Amino acid sequence: MSKLTTGSFSIEDLESVQITINNIVGAAKEVAKEAKEVKEELGPMGPTPFPSIATLRDWSFTLFDRYEPVYTPMCDQCCYCTFGPCNLEGNKRGACGIDMKGQAAREFFLRCLTGCACHSAHGRHLLDHIIDLFGEDMPINMGASNVIAPNIQLVTGRQPKTLGELKPIMEYVEEEVGQLLATVHAGQEAAAIDYDNKAMMAGYLDHVGMEVSDIAQVTALGFPKSDPEAPLVEVGMGTIDASKPVIIAIGHNVAGVTYIMDYMEDNGLTDKMEIGGLCCTAFDMTRYKREDRKAPYAKIVGTISKELKIVRSGIPDVIVLDEQCVRADLVEEGKKLKIPIIASNEKIMYGLPDRTNDDVDAIVKDLVSGTIPGCVMLDYEKLGELVPKVAQAMAPIREAEGLSAIPTDDEMKALVSKCAECGECALACPEELAIPAAIAAAKGEDYSALEELHDLCVGCRRCEQVCNKEIPVLSLIEKAAQKAIAEEKGFVRAGRGQVSDPEIRAEGLNLVMGTTPGVIAIIGCSNFPAGTKDVYNIAEEFLNRNYIVAVSGCSAMDIGMYKDADGKTLYERFPGRFERGNIFNTGSCVSNAHISATCHKVAGIFAGRNLSGNLAEIADYSLNRIGAVGLAWGAYSQKAAAIGTGCNIYGIPAIVGPHSGKYRRALIAKTYDDSKWKLYDSRNGSELAIPPSPEFLLTTAETWQEACVMLAKNCIRVSDNNMGRSIKLTHWLEISEKYLGVLPDDWWKFVRSEADLPLAKREMLLKMLESEHGWEIDWKKKKIISGPSIKFDVSSQPTNLKRLCKEA
Amino acid sequence: MVDTTKNTKLFTTYGVKTSKAISTEIAAKLISKAKRPLFVVGTGVLDPEVLDRAVKIAKAKNIPIAATGSSMIGFVDKGVNAKYINLHALGFYLTDPNWPGLDGNGNYDTIILLGHKKYYINQVLSATKNFSDVKAISIDKSYIQNATMSFGNLSRADHIAALDEVIDLL
Ligand code: SF4
Ligand code: SF4
Ligand code: SF4
Repeated sequence: MSKLTTGSFSIEDLESVQITINNIVGAAKEVAKEAKEVKEELGPMGPTPFPSIATLRDWSFTLFDRYEPVYTPMCDQCCYCTFGPCNLEGNKRGACGIDMKGQAAREFFLRCLTGCACHSAHGRHLLDHIIDLFGEDMPINMGASNVIAPNIQLVTGRQPKTLGELKPIMEYVEEEVGQLLATVHAGQEAAAIDYDNKAMMAGYLDHVGMEVSDIAQVTALGFPKSDPEAPLVEVGMGTIDASKPVIIAIGHNVAGVTYIMDYMEDNGLTDKMEIGGLCCTAFDMTRYKREDRKAPYAKIVGTISKELKIVRSGIPDVIVLDEQCVRADLVEEGKKLKIPIIASNEKIMYGLPDRTNDDVDAIVKDLVSGTIPGCVMLDYEKLGELVPKVAQAMAPIREAEGLSAIPTDDEMKALVSKCAECGECALACPEELAIPAAIAAAKGEDYSALEELHDLCVGCRRCEQVCNKEIPVLSLIEKAAQKAIAEEKGFVRAGRGQVSDPEIRAEGLNLVMGTTPGVIAIIGCSNFPAGTKDVYNIAEEFLNRNYIVAVSGCSAMDIGMYKDADGKTLYERFPGRFERGNIFNTGSCVSNAHISATCHKVAGIFAGRNLSGNLAEIADYSLNRIGAVGLAWGAYSQKAAAIGTGCNIYGIPAIVGPHSGKYRRALIAKTYDDSKWKLYDSRNGSELAIPPSPEFLLTTAETWQEACVMLAKNCIRVSDNNMGRSIKLTHWLEISEKYLGVLPDDWWKFVRSEADLPLAKREMLLKMLESEHGWEIDWKKKKIISGPSIKFDVSSQPTNLKRLCKEA
Repeated sequence: MVDTTKNTKLFTTYGVKTSKAISTEIAAKLISKAKRPLFVVGTGVLDPEVLDRAVKIAKAKNIPIAATGSSMIGFVDKGVNAKYINLHALGFYLTDPNWPGLDGNGNYDTIILLGHKKYYINQVLSATKNFSDVKAISIDKSYIQNATMSFGNLSRADHIAALDEVIDLL
């Protein structure tokens, strides 16, 4: 007989009978026993397992004390409720009493919460699906690690071992997302800083949700497991062989697409058809069943910026959508070129008829005849059969009609000659591209300026909608760039999943001492200020300097699109371990959880700190000792705001691109206020003066060159030993001279003794310290006698948390 | 004279308050009269024709330059007082009355803007516009709606001519 617990139950067939049990003899004992067993199994528990809104508020506020919220509202108004719209300009209050800062903080928080909801809803869908297939008891398998769920362990205190044990984690995230969303209602939270704390919470929940997603798929779908030699994948618009029937998958959730791939494999179609993807579904297609390192047949076309471009090219014979980064005009665009759209996830149904319960061949017939432009298909078995069949049926029809939106040479000439050079398109273009000048040049048959726009253009179509002459600007750009597009072929390493425990053990000391100068994590989507090459340039700069470069998602794709003089991509030139001078790709968007988890693992495995339910202490460790900086250089999506903010509460600073001021809230320190640059030494609670780094938790940069300087500087940490500091200063100073033409103004603030100085510049810098800053130098011994305001003590234990100090 | 006030067309708006369109004369007058001006330039200033004008403006009134983005490289050995600072941090510091400024002498009353990405500078200025009294004068090619005063949208040729007019008037 199953055990009775307190609660209610009904007895079948006995209508209107409900028995309520309020107390069971011995129940309290049972519960206590279970709790004890769980405790023994989980080991020591930190102070904050399963936190709610208030739990980590102190830690958020500790961070905000130095890293102050900086609000850059997107709009003077608020129009949330029908009291409004209210004019909040000049920090006025609206009818409900909220001020401009509060509203900006609420808006930023809502962005983070949206991103968190996307990842965790994705996780919930995948988890349920995978448990349906493999059962709750399937053991989690992430590769050669004992610490298999660092984010989950850090936040909740749990260490799940099976897929079923991920369910309560997901339930926790879902409950808190609901609690958080409620606070967006008009007239609730009053203080901006409390919305900022909620944003931080949405951030760490996001990393938990992402981790659940990726654990489920890595475990069950045969993805590479902590594999530094995960296979190389072809990436770029030029990789798709348009002579075969082409399936294009767009989105983030690979669940449905795996059925399409299984069908292709079962029916011997993998070399008779092409399957390519955009955004993170693409990455997960190339990870599917590739733990044996076999080269993937699925290809990665690119990022959301390429969605409209691939449609306009006419290459896809069918497009299958799932969720998240999917443009909202694909049905309309697809219809023009007879490309059927299949929606495979309830989150995006696109107004299409739901044909889930219909016969596959009947649906194929309706799609091929054009009776319907697409359909919803939520039955994955049917989806697997439907999509390849549609592609095969449509390919000959579409080829015969030569369907493409790219103009012919004659059409191109006629279109450019129509342009009045009025400038409306340039005003509308989010990238501020010089479209009229490029079209003017094309009138004289010089298409080079138009061709150059291809890489800068995010394929948004805003230009076309404002053109009074109805010129399809995007198609003109694509026409001019046909040759460049055909050559867009590169390689990216398929996502490897987590960094393994042995890798952490081997690298932890170098990282904390600073002799590995830092981890640069390049993540997020495209919306780059100077084109896709930005992220390649940054990655190459830091790889050549022996930093560890971590990448994921769309940035990982874009980095793979460029080659050196020998025709090699960065993934071919540099290995994929967690080790200096390596570039490792964790995988898709949800694999970002493994990047933050790497920092937790350093604290847990290398430094032996307790991870379970211990967020503030571990974050404090990362902030003071791990020279890791995130870069979401394009960052168009709400998910990037959530990922970055999650990193922030974990003590990891992040830089975003110039577009990302539109997220509305940054966290920037006052480098000039010495009172903010102090820590405790946990050995005795005494105060330690520290150098101003990191000088932000979240901020923007204007150009990739500026970002390089900021990244190098903000890898400096208080725990660097002399050699580490000297290495970090060497790179920062060199990069500043390379891209800004000058040494930084404040390099001297980071010098504790002559041993910190970069070797090659030691003499010159000593002279500067003496002449410009009045430091005393013993020139015989080349030693600093007096001057530095910060000291270095190898055995000091820097912390922001008074409670960790012995004396306290 | 270039009419720098006529085209203030926007594609999207930041709400209720947008900058006043000004002529080259007014721009020159405001720059001349500022008690503690700071010339805030973005990386767009590296265009040689614009850079040349930026140096002349800085020299004419001995205005310190906040070289944001990666614009600093353009000002090395040009005989101007330029320092690198990140634009977002600068926007924040401008709202702090206790900021010692780039030279230790305190915050600024007027910033003059040139060479910026429109979307980036507008966002940064949404902080100074709402949370400070600093006056932002844009002499950029595009109409900058979150500045206090700004040129309208100009063609490249008109923009260069307008900068020359400002230089003559300083
Ligand atoms: S939520 Fe407040 S500020 Fe916004 S519209 Fe309603 S009353 Fe106005
Ligand atoms: S809006 Fe149309 S007509 Fe005007 S410049 Fe752009 S392409 Fe030419
Ligand atoms: S489609 Fe490209 S060129 Fe047109 S507005 Fe968008 S980014 Fe600019």
